[in-house]
Formats: sequence, structure tokens, C-alpha cells
Amino acid sequence: MSEKWQYLIVLGLCLAVTAPLEFFGPGVYRQPRRLVRAVLPVAAAFLVWDTVAIRAGVWTYNDAYITAVHLPFRVPIEEALFFVVIPLCALLTYNAVTAILDRSRRR
Amino acid sequence: MSGLGYTVPAVAAVLAVFALEFGLWHTGLFRRLAYWLSMVIVLGFQIPVDGWLTKRSAPIVIYNEHQTSGLRFPLDIPVEDFLYGFALVTAVLLLWERQQARWLAGNKHG
Repeated sequence: MSEKWQYLIVLGLCLAVTAPLEFFGPGVYRQPRRLVRAVLPVAAAFLVWDTVAIRAGVWTYNDAYITAVHLPFRVPIEEALFFVVIPLCALLTYNAVTAILDRSRRR
Repeated sequence: MSGLGYTVPAVAAVLAVFALEFGLWHTGLFRRLAYWLSMVIVLGFQIPVDGWLTKRSAPIVIYNEHQTSGLRFPLDIPVEDFLYGFALVTAVLLLWERQQARWLAGNKHG
């Protein structure tokens, strides 16, 4: 398999590892409206930052490890997914920690 | 090091997040133990994931060293990434909490 999938595989692993956290409390995937409203505005802001940084040459991506599917302005598709996947992982963590703390407080 | 095209915006992003919470949203997220515990866990996962993305031996993301502080720790992670990650994750959690607060307020009125 090509090394080009590396970045996507890393993101996939992040989703796989955090997926079971959905079983705690009210969950994150089960609140799709709240999820979209929390993730989308921040993802949009960071995507703009990313675009500017790529254009200004602050950072670039190694073509060996990305799929070569790009959004406009040469932003790799992996970057757009990063801004969804990482917040999802954080929300799932926060959801689980909150549920566990609530449970221990009720005891 | 000259432009600090990553360092300056990374610091600004963190300040912007604090400004949103303390100036505008007042969700109380920073007073919640669950938030700080989550951030420690997120940090624990950021190091291997970000370390993989930024390792100098086979980097996925390549930084222009003229635009950063040049400090890379732990592994080869630019320290700016931790400000960046903090701002990204905290902003999302703030919006998540803000909706909960709004929903509760709406229910009280209804």
C-alpha cells in the first residue's frame, strides 16, 4: 500500500480509538446538531488560517504522505478532515470525562 | 527565526479564545474539572499523533523554520502546535457548552 495514505490513516486511527467513548453519557454523535454547530465555525476559521499559512509558506505538506486530493488554494483534503476529526476526539473525551465525573459524584 | 508567521498567530489564537469566553460567552468551561482533565488527556494523545505528523525524519507537515520560534519539544513538535491545539479544541468545547447553556436558558423561559 502506498505511503500516500499515511495522514488519512492517522486520522482514521484517531476516530477509531475515540469511537467507544460515545457510549458514555449523552454522547456526541447522538447530538448531531450540537456537534455541527460546535465544530463547523471553528473548522472554517482554522481552514482560513491554514490556507493563509500554506500560501505564505509558513508550512507545507509532504506529497509523499498525502493523497494529492486538494481543496481550493492547495489545501490538502486531509487538513479539512483534521479540523473535524480532532475536535470530534476532544468532544468525545470531554463527554466521557463529564459522564464519569457525574457518576462518581452521585455515589 | 524572523517572521514568526506561526508563533504570533498561535499566541493570538489562544488570546482570542480567552477573549471569547471572558468577554462574550461566559460558559464557565474553564471552571469545570472535566475540561481540565479532558485537556490533559487530549495533550497525552497530541504528543504521539502530532509527533508522528511533524517528525523530522519523515515529516507529513513541514514547517518553515524562519516562521517559528525554532523550539521543538517534545519529539520534533514545534511548541506552537500546543497553542494551536489548545485554541482549536477549546474553541470547539466552548461552542459545545454554549449551546447547552442556551438550551437550558431557553427551557427556563419556556
